[in-house]
Amino acid sequence: MAAEAKVAYRKPKKHIHVFDVVNYIVFVIVALIVLLPLWKVLVDSFNAVGVYQFRFWPNQPTLAGYLTILTTQKLYRPFLNSVITTILGTLLGLVMSTLGGYVLCQEDMPGRNAMSYFLLFTMIFSGGMIPEYLVMRQLGLVDNMWILVVKHGMNVYNLVLMRNFFEGIPASLFEAAKIDGCSPMGIFFRIVLPLSKAALASIGLMYAVTVWNDYSTVQIYITNRDQVNFQYILRVMVMDGDTPTTAYKVSQNTLYYAAIVCAILPFMILYPFLQQYFVTGVNIGAVKE
Amino acid sequence: MAKKPTKTSTGEPIRKKPLGTRIWNNRGYYLMFLPVLIYVLVIYYWPMLGVRYAFYDYKLKNISYVGFKHFQTMFGDKDFWTSFKNTLELSIMKLLITTFVSVLISVFLNEMGNLFVKKSLQTIIYLPHFMSWTVVAAIFTLFLSNSSSGFVNETLKSWGVIEKSIDFLHKKDMWRPIFYMINIWKETGWGTVIFLATLSGINPELYEAADIDGAKRMQKIWYVTVPALANTIIIVLILNLAKVLNMFESVFVLYNTRVYEVSDVISTFIYRKTFLQNIPNYGYTTAVGLFKSLVGCMLVLICNWASKKIRGRGII
Repeated sequence: MAAEAKVAYRKPKKHIHVFDVVNYIVFVIVALIVLLPLWKVLVDSFNAVGVYQFRFWPNQPTLAGYLTILTTQKLYRPFLNSVITTILGTLLGLVMSTLGGYVLCQEDMPGRNAMSYFLLFTMIFSGGMIPEYLVMRQLGLVDNMWILVVKHGMNVYNLVLMRNFFEGIPASLFEAAKIDGCSPMGIFFRIVLPLSKAALASIGLMYAVTVWNDYSTVQIYITNRDQVNFQYILRVMVMDGDTPTTAYKVSQNTLYYAAIVCAILPFMILYPFLQQYFVTGVNIGAVKE
Repeated sequence: MAKKPTKTSTGEPIRKKPLGTRIWNNRGYYLMFLPVLIYVLVIYYWPMLGVRYAFYDYKLKNISYVGFKHFQTMFGDKDFWTSFKNTLELSIMKLLITTFVSVLISVFLNEMGNLFVKKSLQTIIYLPHFMSWTVVAAIFTLFLSNSSSGFVNETLKSWGVIEKSIDFLHKKDMWRPIFYMINIWKETGWGTVIFLATLSGINPELYEAADIDGAKRMQKIWYVTVPALANTIIIVLILNLAKVLNMFESVFVLYNTRVYEVSDVISTFIYRKTFLQNIPNYGYTTAVGLFKSLVGCMLVLICNWASKKIRGRGII
């Protein structure tokens, strides 16, 4: 009897389930599979001699790889091109999708449906790679880095995401503003945009990632080495072995790995701070019912 | 903005103003739409007019009407059919594999009790999605290379698994498995976003009920978590099925002349037939592109219909 009472009063012991242990181990392995290749890239970019082994720390640390990129015109020029096109492409994309998205959610505007179909049709059918190329050639955008800005200047899917977001803003806010004598433009700039900071951030990031990471557009449209972006030059170096420098102060491997790090650096720096915005973009589109 | 009421508070129907007035009242919005209109016309609709070249010979500056000649050539072209078959096989396999692994990871990540650990893991596994295909291809090409600094080959050799270096990406029987593995590495983490969102919406009472019924951990996963995901899995598959023909960059950065047979997809076929020819016939590749667009269009419409059936909401 007493023993039973004792059992009843015993604090519930925190069991360590086998399941949890296995789960943790499996996920440590998953995390390592993702991170170790990146760590090797990072370490080898600082390592003077190319070695195949995995190292936790460079054994002959050097900055030669990065210095080569910083001082070789054929390498830093594409990097600057990437930065410029990404900034402009993102701005253009944001302007276009907010304008379009905002217009499309004006309930009593005649022709609203026609405008929606006009945009949505482009998601169903496209001219294809070659007709697009021929048009861009006529526009003088072949061999010209502005193709990156123009081609990603607007994405209909992002515009629809923006519209969905605007539609979630309560109508009473607009009515209140109207009663207070705010013009439609005033409403857009003073009420809609400030409320949409999170959506703007996540859609802006989507544009930025797309433009920065774009390689195929450059491959198709640009042959002039002054106009290419950094992804292209990275590809040319690593895959074709076409290293655009004659100063061999640095081993090829070190240079390659340093170039890879430069190609992912901007987003890796931003990523931890902006992760929520990266994710919300998907959620506005996919989970909203 | 929520839907505007069609009746006033006293029950009187709100009468719409005349069309002219409504257009005039919205003039500012039309002006706002103008840049979008021009952009879409030039960048999306103008190329659509270009599909007429599918019925022309277009070499250098000479254009002449040839009717359906290009389509006949295309359907008789063995390389075209190889690329068509490869596109379907590669993208559908990739879709199934990455979705399966994503579901697996989301289910077990959902079991992770410690929120901080869970969040950190999410941060880590999303990471590769934001790298370009060029970067991913560069990393794995360097790792898999058969030079003295190729990580995989040299490691396997030092362990005595293999005697001679294997040129992984140049071997026909190796290319596809490697392609799928790289895809898993890059995309599964990101694939979990939508599944985790669904899982966070499961009613906890379901788990409590399962507890009361004496369900074990794995039973709860199998009978509560997995069924909750079924709908989302179908939607993800449908959404991606609409895009299966679009495969380009991921293949383009990893393939090479020696593995065309197992890796060439429609877009890379079009690319090579145009930009790697001395005097390309834009007409022929436009025809191939048109075929791809039409099949893609059909896929989108089918998937849209399926999506409406299943969740009452289209994908476009």
